[in-house]
Amino acid sequence: MENVLIKVEKLSKHYQMGEVTVKAVRDLSFEIYEGEFVVILGPSGSGKSTLLNIVGGMDTPTSGKIYFKDQEITNYDERKLTSYRRNEVGFIFQFYNLMGNLTAKENVELAVEICKDTLDIDEVLEAVNLNERADHFPAQLSGGEQQRVAIARAVSKKPEVLLCDEPTGALDFETGISILKILKKINIEYKKTVVIITHNSPVAAMADRVLKMRSGKIIDYYKNPEPVDPERIEW
Amino acid sequence: MKKLDLRLLRMIWHSKGQYISILVVVITGLFMYTFMNNAATNLETSLYEYYEISNFGDMFIDIMSITEKDAEDLKHVKYVEDVDARIVVDVPVIVEDRDERVSMRIMSVDGKENTISKLYMEGGNRDLEGREILIHTQFAEAREIKLGDEIELRISGRKYVFTVKGFVSHPEFTYVMENEQTIYPDPESFGIGFIEEEYLANISGMKDRYNDIVITLEDYGKFDQVEKDLEDRLEDFGLRRIVKKEDQLSNRLVHEEINGLKQISGFIPVVFLVVAAAILAAMISRYVRNDKVIIGILKGLGYSKARILSHYTMYAVSIGIIGGAIGTILGTIFSGYMTKMYLQFFYIPLLKVTVYPENIIAAIVLSALFCTIAGLVGSRDAILVTPAEAIRNERSQTGHRILLDRVKFIWTRVSFTWKIVFRNIFREKKKSIFISLGAAFTIAMSLMTFWISGMMTSVFDTHYGEFLSMDYNIDFKVPVHESSLKDLEKIIGVNEVEGKMEMPFELQYGRNEKFVSIIGLHTDTKVYNFEDFYGNRIELPEEGMIISSNLAGVLEVEAGDRVLVKNFIPGMDDEYVEIVDIIDQALGINGYMNIEYMDDKLAGRDLISGAYVQTDKRITEELSDLKNVSGTQSLKEMRDLFYEYIDLAAASISVMVVFSGILGFVIIYSMTVLSINERKLEFSSLRVLGFTKGEIFGIILKENSVMSVVGMIYGLPMGKVLIDAMRTIYVTDLYVFDAPITIRSIIYAIVFTAICLTFAQLITYRKITNLDFIEALKSRTS
Repeated sequence: MENVLIKVEKLSKHYQMGEVTVKAVRDLSFEIYEGEFVVILGPSGSGKSTLLNIVGGMDTPTSGKIYFKDQEITNYDERKLTSYRRNEVGFIFQFYNLMGNLTAKENVELAVEICKDTLDIDEVLEAVNLNERADHFPAQLSGGEQQRVAIARAVSKKPEVLLCDEPTGALDFETGISILKILKKINIEYKKTVVIITHNSPVAAMADRVLKMRSGKIIDYYKNPEPVDPERIEW
Repeated sequence: MKKLDLRLLRMIWHSKGQYISILVVVITGLFMYTFMNNAATNLETSLYEYYEISNFGDMFIDIMSITEKDAEDLKHVKYVEDVDARIVVDVPVIVEDRDERVSMRIMSVDGKENTISKLYMEGGNRDLEGREILIHTQFAEAREIKLGDEIELRISGRKYVFTVKGFVSHPEFTYVMENEQTIYPDPESFGIGFIEEEYLANISGMKDRYNDIVITLEDYGKFDQVEKDLEDRLEDFGLRRIVKKEDQLSNRLVHEEINGLKQISGFIPVVFLVVAAAILAAMISRYVRNDKVIIGILKGLGYSKARILSHYTMYAVSIGIIGGAIGTILGTIFSGYMTKMYLQFFYIPLLKVTVYPENIIAAIVLSALFCTIAGLVGSRDAILVTPAEAIRNERSQTGHRILLDRVKFIWTRVSFTWKIVFRNIFREKKKSIFISLGAAFTIAMSLMTFWISGMMTSVFDTHYGEFLSMDYNIDFKVPVHESSLKDLEKIIGVNEVEGKMEMPFELQYGRNEKFVSIIGLHTDTKVYNFEDFYGNRIELPEEGMIISSNLAGVLEVEAGDRVLVKNFIPGMDDEYVEIVDIIDQALGINGYMNIEYMDDKLAGRDLISGAYVQTDKRITEELSDLKNVSGTQSLKEMRDLFYEYIDLAAASISVMVVFSGILGFVIIYSMTVLSINERKLEFSSLRVLGFTKGEIFGIILKENSVMSVVGMIYGLPMGKVLIDAMRTIYVTDLYVFDAPITIRSIIYAIVFTAICLTFAQLITYRKITNLDFIEALKSRTS
């Protein structure tokens, strides 16, 4: 029996852009299970980043509910949301968003030092093949290396779920694949739930579960019977 | 170290130029605050301690003559605690250089200890006999007099040689001034001496009589009641004036200095802290805006709003604490020097240079508070933004036309770079206003400083060059008939001699009253040039009185009002006299009358109390032999003394000029560096288009120059506001230091401001040359 980690119920998010109301997410309902590798697929503007932000406690919905381990996070106050982001969620972004004036290792330490139960930083850096470059500043690292630092930063906090917003979007094919391999490795070795959002449909092949979105709605939601190894993905 | 703190340290290191420049402003503000406040506290506490141990009097009475018994009887007046009667005479000191004029105020001392305003022994022996004298330490030091030296005085026309028995200070002479007309002490030419009472009484012709009384009261709140009682009792003894403790000349001048210091220490440093806080708030809000994504990431990582807010606020707080500590330490060290510098003017034997922890803590708290508020104001946007909003890609700001853009006739004639300049000025309104404020502050502060400098010279030139045109002012010991002037003319060999009648009276108008010297002159006087505030000549009226503007202010009278002149001359009544006009007078507080009208109304005798002499000759030697001359003032000596003082003032004025330059420099430098950092992408694009570094720098230069000129335009009226504020310090009952703002001061201020701002601009050119344009175009980290 699979345990539900995240449950989304009738979630909607509307933005006001001047006189126009933009319905970014419309009445979504789905579940994500513990230890799954989930890919949310959709074109630009389909609402996937909005969904990820709300699930990660970075934004609030207009209506609907989200449960994390049976706890409704949509009624959390600011303090609880901060604690949720600190202890339960790890974020990875398309443009890495590292602190330019902290080294790779210090960027990871930045995340670790506010959490109680964390992983060994050197071990995580080794897992992402960065122990040789730990003392370099982001400007001295390639895009792929910077993304690996971002992954190490997110993983080292020992979150329940990694939320990745277009993690390969700014990388070339080979580097992108290497990042996907690392994410898969973390999913398996550290038993972490990984949610990736991407517009790159071949990535869906490696997912345990795929959620397809368009114009703020789910157009398909299915379990992948045979997830493939990231090495076999091509785009 | 926490990684966020490490990031802060590196952020500080990366912006070290701006950080240090703001730090300098905070240090300067705190330095001035501590420096002046400590000096004022040192002076004040030492003064009070000195007054306490010497039992400083509450009431000082100048009287023509009173017997010992009558003086003793004053102890029975209600609320009088103690009475001490003294003989006080001003006498010439005979020195080797016969042209040098030196005088001494001699005061009698009991063989035993005085009970009020006690002497403070600083060397030698207190026991006096016959021709032995104790002299004020300041006079002894200025003239290099040692114990056992002899000093020759002319008392009642006879020469007496006294042996210096000791050095003393006296609480009534912490600021040793001959009278209210002299504005600076000159210990080399005027000193205080103390001679045993009985001996002084014999040689000065004051046997069993006194002309000076000092009183302490049981309840100082009852001063007015006691004063009234004493006015009635002493009328027959020739009461000249009763002075309360606050108005005692020396005490008053020390307090004016202390209050002036406190006023400036509360005003100028606040200007610096406000400027530092404003720059910090602007800088931090820019950092927060540029770090929007980083703030989103930190929130995403689980950092609380408070922690993020404190991260940015700490940048400002660190400046407040470090600047506060350095400024306070430097200020404390230099306050010692400043306090000692005051010893050139004030003589307080117990003057202690103390470190006041409460002042230090107050200064650091003040500085930290200003900077914390600046930090919180600057970083408040950090807490408002939601993490999702923060990491969302910034939409490019919608372009819009500026007002000038719509005036096609002008806009089509404006070059491309000037279009960029004007658009940036109007789009970045806050930054532009701030730069203009930098220029405005600098020009305002420097205008104020140049005004003070020019005003000092102008006031003295006017007072001693135009208002007064005598060369010598001679006071007689005993009033004489005007015909005696002929004898004086013969003795000194000068024809231009004019008699005067100068006497103290109490003027009363409504509830306001003031003791002042009224000077009687001939209507066609050649030694006074009376003018009103607008420079219109005023003739001395045949009847009525003209008064100085500060006296008019104290009494709250206008021309046409009638004031009561309270007369203490035996047999003379109080009289109402009309104020005919109000004159502009920089130094002193006086009323002027026609001498015949004064004799008729107030003095009752056809006499003169002194004379004015116009001559290029030195007449000091001739005057020193005259028995009836109690004092001589040479205008040249007064002018020379002033120029000595001006040298000292020039040093503090230079410091003020430097400080105002620092303000402008820091504001322009910080804002320009901030602007360059924020516009790396824009400048990189211009470089790609083929612009040279010089051309890009030219754009910044033009933007700043336009705003600096705007700032300088409204900074000049701001300077006038500062000058008006300073006028309250420089206008007192004793002097009115005021002058119009001259074109020269304005030009100096403009040139100085332009130099400071240009210098700040040139320093930032390095930032443009060091800019890595390629890196800027591809950068994705913060």
